[in-house]
Amino acid sequence: MNSPVTVSELSREIKNTVESRFSFVYVTGEISNFKDHSSGHLYFSLKDSKAQINAVIWNSRVRDLNFSPENGLKVIVKGRLTVYETRGTYQIDVFEMMPAGAGELQKALEILKKKLSDEGIFDSRYKKPLPEYPEKIALITSETGAAIHDFLKVTEKRYPLVEIILIPSLMQGAGSADSICSSVKKANSLPDKPEIIVITRGGGSIEDLWTFNEEKVARAVFGSGIPVVSAIGHEVDYTICDLAADMRAPTPSSAAELIFPDVRDLMLRIKAAESSLNRQVYNKFSNLRNVLANIERNYYFMRPVDLMNEFRANLDSIGSSILNETRRKLNQIKNSLETNQKLLNTLNPDNILKRGYTIIKRGDKIITARKNINIKDKISIKFHDGSANAVVEN
Amino acid sequence: MKKKKDDESFGSSFKKLEIILEKLENEIEDHSLEEIIKNYEEAQALLKFCRKKLEEAELKIEKIGAEEEN
Repeated sequence: MNSPVTVSELSREIKNTVESRFSFVYVTGEISNFKDHSSGHLYFSLKDSKAQINAVIWNSRVRDLNFSPENGLKVIVKGRLTVYETRGTYQIDVFEMMPAGAGELQKALEILKKKLSDEGIFDSRYKKPLPEYPEKIALITSETGAAIHDFLKVTEKRYPLVEIILIPSLMQGAGSADSICSSVKKANSLPDKPEIIVITRGGGSIEDLWTFNEEKVARAVFGSGIPVVSAIGHEVDYTICDLAADMRAPTPSSAAELIFPDVRDLMLRIKAAESSLNRQVYNKFSNLRNVLANIERNYYFMRPVDLMNEFRANLDSIGSSILNETRRKLNQIKNSLETNQKLLNTLNPDNILKRGYTIIKRGDKIITARKNINIKDKISIKFHDGSANAVVEN
Repeated sequence: MKKKKDDESFGSSFKKLEIILEKLENEIEDHSLEEIIKNYEEAQALLKFCRKKLEEAELKIEKIGAEEEN
C-alpha cells in the first residue's frame, strides 16, 4: 500500500473528478431553504422526495432571472457542479434557472404579483393620467411585429396629429427584458419628452409574453416619469407589465384607440363649437338690443313728449277757462242790464199812472202842490190812458 | 427644444376654445360687449387653426435607437 493521501489531496482529486464529470448539469427539483443573501447571491437547496443538493446563483447572474425564486417552486436549472474543498461540500453553480412548466411559471407569477402588489406597484393612486391631446409619444415595440403595424394604422386614421418616436426593442426571448427597460429609460431621457410611452406587442404563448411578467420590466414601467400604456398580447393576456403600467390596453389597436381622440369626433365637436359660438354671440347681441330698446322706452326718454303733452293740456285748459270767464262776464252784464231795465220800468211814470196816480198840469207846468193852484184854474189831468180837462172848484 | 409661440399645439388650442365656449355659455351676462367680441374673435381664430391642423395632419414617425445609451 502506498502512503496515505492528505485530506487536501483527496479533496483536490474529488474536486477535479466531480467538476470535470459534471461541468454541465441540467436538473429539476423544488426550491427549499431559499436565502436571498445581502451580498446579492442566492443560496438554496434543490430537492425531491429522496434527495437534496445545494445550489447558488451568484449575484452577477441573478439579474438574468425572469421570476422570483421562492421555496416550494419547482424549477429547472442549468449549471455545473463545484466542490468547496474547505468544507468538503459540493453545490450547483447555477447559470440559468426557470420555473418547471406552465403551472410553475404561473405559480412564480402569482408570487411575484403578490410581492409587487404588496409594495404598491399596482396601486391606482400611482397611476398617472394621460394627456387628452398628446403631441408626441414614444412607441416601444418590435419593428417587425404585427403590433407596430396595427398601432400605426389606427393612429394614422384616428389622430395623425401626433408625432411618434419609435424605439425599436426586443419584445421576446433572451435580452428582451433588458431591451425594454433601456428603451423606457431612453424615452424618459429624451430632451423633448414624449407625453406617453406605449409598450406593445401582439399575442403569443405564455413563454413569448413572459418578458412582460419580469420584475425588472414591471419596475422600469412603474419607475417611468412618463405615463406608460401597456398593450401586451391579445385581450385575455394580463401581464405584470400591464398591471404596473398607468393604463392597460387589450391589444395594440385598442391602445391607439384609448390614447388618441378621433379626428372625426373632433371635427364634429369643432362644428358644434362653431355653431354654439355663433348662437351665443347672436343671443348676446339680441339681448343687448332688447336692453337698448327697453332703455329707449324708459320714462325719462319719453319725458319731452310728456312735457309737450302736458303743456298742450295746460294750454287747452287755459283756453277754455278764458272762454268760460268771458261767458260768465257777459252773463253778468246781461243780468245787470235786465235788472236795470226792470228798475227803469218801475220808474216809468206811465206805470205809476196805471196804479191810479195822475199828473196834474196847468198849461205845460206840472202842479205838484195844492198851493200852486187857485180856484177856477183850468187844469188837465193826465191818466195813463189819456187826459181830461177840469176846473178847480175850491 | 422649446416650442415657438406661433407653433401652438392642437390640444392647447382646442382646450382654449372649449374654455372660451364655456365662458360664453355660462357667464355671458357678466361680459362686456368688448370682451364678447374679443372672445368671439379669438374663438374664431382657434376654430380656424384647429380645423386646419386636423385637415393637414400627417403622422410623423421618427426612429431612435435604444442602444445608443449614454
